[in-house]
Amino acid sequence: MKKNDLYSKEEKLFQDKNKIYSAQSVKQIVYSTDVRDFGQVAKSIPCQDACPAKTNIPGYIRAVFEKRHGRAYELNRSANILPGVLGHICSRPCESACRHGEPDNGVSVGICHLKRSCSDLKSGSHRIIEGLYAPTEKKVAVIGSGPAGLAAAHDLSILGHKVVIFEGLEKPGGMLMYGIPEFRLPRDLLMLEIKNILRLGIQLKTNKAIGVDISLDLLKNEYDAVVVATGCVSPRKLNIAGEDLKNIYNGLDFMKAVNEGQKPLVGDKVIVIGAGFTAVDCARSAIRLGASDVSINIRKTIEYMRIDETEKYEAQFEGIKTVSLIQPSKIIGNGNKVIAVEFQRTRMEKTDTPPYRVSIPIENSQFLVPTDSVIAALGQTPDEAVVSKDLDGLDGVFAAGDFATGSSDVISAIAGGRKSARAIDEYLIGEKRKQTVVRLENHETTDRQRSYDFIGKVEMNTIDMEERLSKATNEVETGYNDDQAHEEAKRCYLCNLEYEIDPLICIYCSACIDVAPKDCIKMIESVPVNSDGTYGIYEETDDWNNVVSIAIDNARCIRCGQCLAVCPMDCISVTKTELIEIDT
Amino acid sequence: MPFNDHYVIIGNGPAGNHAARTLRKKDKDAKITIISDERVPYYYKPKLTNFIADEIAKEDLMVNFLNSYKAKDIRIRLGQEVERIDSESKTLFLQHMEKINYSKLIIASGSRARVLPAMSRYANHLKFVTSYTDVMAVKEEIRKAKDFFIFGGDLVGFKFLRLLNSMGKTVTILIYPNAFWPYNLTDNMLAQITESLSKFKVDVIVKDDISIIDDKNGLYRVKTQKGIEKNVDMVFSFNGLIPNIDFAKGSGVDIDHGILVNEYLKTNVDSIYACGSCAQIYNPSIKSYTTSIGWPNAVVQGEVAAFNLLGDHKIIESVGRKYFDLEGVKIKTIWWEDIDDEV
Ligand SMILES: Cc1cc2nc3c(=O)[nH]c(=O)nc-3n(C[C@H](O)[C@H](O)[C@H](O)COP(=O)(O)OP(=O)(O)OC[C@H]3O[C@@H](n4cnc5c(N)ncnc54)[C@H](O)[C@@H]3O)c2cc1C
Ligand SMILES: Cc1cc2nc3c(=O)[nH]c(=O)nc-3n(C[C@H](O)[C@H](O)[C@H](O)COP(=O)(O)OP(=O)(O)OC[C@H]3O[C@@H](n4cnc5c(N)ncnc54)[C@H](O)[C@@H]3O)c2cc1C
Ligand code: SF4
Ligand code: SF4
Ligand code: SF4
Repeated sequence: MKKNDLYSKEEKLFQDKNKIYSAQSVKQIVYSTDVRDFGQVAKSIPCQDACPAKTNIPGYIRAVFEKRHGRAYELNRSANILPGVLGHICSRPCESACRHGEPDNGVSVGICHLKRSCSDLKSGSHRIIEGLYAPTEKKVAVIGSGPAGLAAAHDLSILGHKVVIFEGLEKPGGMLMYGIPEFRLPRDLLMLEIKNILRLGIQLKTNKAIGVDISLDLLKNEYDAVVVATGCVSPRKLNIAGEDLKNIYNGLDFMKAVNEGQKPLVGDKVIVIGAGFTAVDCARSAIRLGASDVSINIRKTIEYMRIDETEKYEAQFEGIKTVSLIQPSKIIGNGNKVIAVEFQRTRMEKTDTPPYRVSIPIENSQFLVPTDSVIAALGQTPDEAVVSKDLDGLDGVFAAGDFATGSSDVISAIAGGRKSARAIDEYLIGEKRKQTVVRLENHETTDRQRSYDFIGKVEMNTIDMEERLSKATNEVETGYNDDQAHEEAKRCYLCNLEYEIDPLICIYCSACIDVAPKDCIKMIESVPVNSDGTYGIYEETDDWNNVVSIAIDNARCIRCGQCLAVCPMDCISVTKTELIEIDT
Repeated sequence: MPFNDHYVIIGNGPAGNHAARTLRKKDKDAKITIISDERVPYYYKPKLTNFIADEIAKEDLMVNFLNSYKAKDIRIRLGQEVERIDSESKTLFLQHMEKINYSKLIIASGSRARVLPAMSRYANHLKFVTSYTDVMAVKEEIRKAKDFFIFGGDLVGFKFLRLLNSMGKTVTILIYPNAFWPYNLTDNMLAQITESLSKFKVDVIVKDDISIIDDKNGLYRVKTQKGIEKNVDMVFSFNGLIPNIDFAKGSGVDIDHGILVNEYLKTNVDSIYACGSCAQIYNPSIKSYTTSIGWPNAVVQGEVAAFNLLGDHKIIESVGRKYFDLEGVKIKTIWWEDIDDEV
């Protein structure tokens, strides 16, 4: 570790009122609440910033690299509570944001596959870690045991509150249990991670639907606070003629039936309508029910499908066609049985307000597509007949997950559940007990080799088509082995390491710029400050007269360490940055 | 300094070149640049198979030589890949970190080999014939090799099969009914093709699928799901071509299977047009979209895109309907013809 840059950093920090110092400061660790540091972390670590639960991705990937899978699992669990489940089915917003996927950098790191690896590969005697608070004697009711409800229950329980979950259905898990098919998410894994939450002393009452078996008012009276996390369970309708014919299913009911082990009749030719997770799961389930010609039909272009690349790929692999730019206008029956769907072509059009691009039907462009069944998977809305969406003014009642936000994904629901737990805790205790801060620690440069940057993505192992069809619940993806996980982990740049040039020592020799593999080191004339206090994009200049400093753009840096190796002044420092939760 | 337009064309195939020529004819002053990630001037893709068999020399493969660009005052950048388009600032980002500004852009990036999802895990064992670069990588190996496995069987695939046969090679072909993308072969057509192939020294497999391809001591072992096993020197995939559009993602241009354009070949972004086999074109007469493959269509579309970019409103018409002879089966196509020389 170099002392000159440390000194300058500490000196700088000591002048700053927003920094909290711990005894560890002597070890060069600083906890910061400075908005500029939060801004810097967000820019530097795009994967973590894109994760709704702010999972410490580079941290756990580094642990996988070191083959410390248990540690990697706990780093995940402390942020997202269900690492094994997410490692199978997460929608992966982090991968879309990953720096490795930027143009010329190759392909995103298999962040989600690595998440799964730490769950698969951790030792059989792995211990989970929980930092429990003293009991508060407060009681909280959680309605719904989907990911949002489970996350809220977990955090509330950690904080010392007594928690009871009310679930309307027979089994816990929400869409994890009744929506997502078993060939993507094994139920023993799901139950294990749910039990790890319930072990905290949370009481789960299944077959107890609020609004049917018990009223919300009753809960409000009996509990100090209530979380409504009932998800989105009312399917959207097609609203076209013929919708009530036989062999027309809505996606959620269809998946529920499949997940309960039933075999809905689909026939040979199946038309699925919809562009999200449910549509793809319905189509893949239909293949497993024996259909031979399955299509997913979407109104916009393929670009707008709300699913990740792996899902698109697997569906294609299983022979499912995607037909874009069409929308159904009528369903045709013979007697009460569906025989065809009339579609209409669409075109894309601009709007001035979100979503900015919409699809518009083209007049007189109808055509018929024969079919044996139709599955309408247009998404779901909250069931307002049971619990009203309007919770405003209901003291002590909080909403979380899909119920609060509309249909989203599991990781957003978990983040929402955790957020509501913090709000409830503050409501019950009267003060904030936890706080997120940026932990800054001086770090040696990385031991990553430049050759790691050119390793291709390690593909997930999968079973072949025959095995997929032999038993509908056979899990398609089988996980990485130890070596594959290690290899994939090598690919991560470790964006949590921030490189910084000390302008007071730099002699502007530009040796670093010459060796830089990207346009990561810039000659800047000013650094604008955004309205929220964070730093904006560096203003660059080619004119030496205007250069005020040579600076590393951590949004472009791939952490290769080459600048550090050549700098004659030793003025480049590395700081490890982490978002952590501490007691206030 | 007077402001001259800078028309940039991504792609150095028939669509790109005909667009450039048309632009130059109509606008003497504009700066015109063609960018291609390949390192050769404009060449006849359809003659690549003849080139493999050494029936023609490299010179005969060329449509243009470097001096013909110069004569038309068209700048050509070879071996440079466009990585990203920023349509707000009208900037192209090249792979080697250079930026190019354009006033109007024509995307004519053509197509690449379609790798079936089921095959992607074996992709590094597969060879393709889609570009000069592909061909140069395998030409010598083809000459030396004896046993070949072909799967798929699109138009180029059958051309290649006949070529291998004439070179005295042993060939096995596994025909996929949907290799002839975007059309599917019916059972009837499959039967006729198999029958017609019997005149060649070739093993034909139908209604089967690849189960494994692995690499053993320099040979490839190909096993089908029904248990047929072949040890061959080279494995080729011919499953049609799909639009080359990855670089346009995130640019604000609508993308579906290809770059989405209206009947005037204009994208949803004002100054950007697309033509040739990368485009997915709205056809008002059938009220639907088509992706076109084939040389003659690329030529016409390149010209139309250039006219419209300059302010015209020409509607793209498909080149006359043709029947293509696929081993005795007449396939109606409006997008493919036997190419001899540039018209
Ligand atoms: C088929 C399908 C596939 C999906 N695939 C993915 C995927 O791969 N990745 C991904 O990230 N997301 C996926 N999603 C979306 C994801 O499952 C949801 O966004 C997420 O589960 C929402 O969590 P939640 O806790 O808010 O609600 P839910 O999971 O819907 O849970 C709500 C719970 O509340 C219960 N409940 C409802 N009403 C009452 C009541 N009145 N009283 C008591 N209990 C009640 C329900 O029974 C349910 O258990 C998928 C969704 C579906 C339908
Ligand atoms: C082996 C073979 C045989 C064929 N035979 C026939 C035939 O007999 N008859 C017939 O009608 N058709 C035939 N075709 C099809 C015909 O060649 C194509 O339809 C035609 O070339 C399409 O023209 P295009 O200009 O749209 O694209 P292309 O000719 O594919 O040209 C695309 C250009 O874009 C460049 N490019 C792509 N991406 C980038 C990027 N990111 N940056 C920079 N440059 C980029 C490529 O290097 C290339 O120069 C054949 C094709 C092949 C492969
Ligand atoms: S390279 Fe690693 S740390 Fe950087 S964005 Fe990707 S996963 Fe995150
Ligand atoms: S470590 Fe230095 S040289 Fe390497 S990418 Fe980052 S700033 Fe550039
Ligand atoms: S190498 Fe060091 S001294 Fe030279 S410009 Fe870069 S940071 Fe400054």
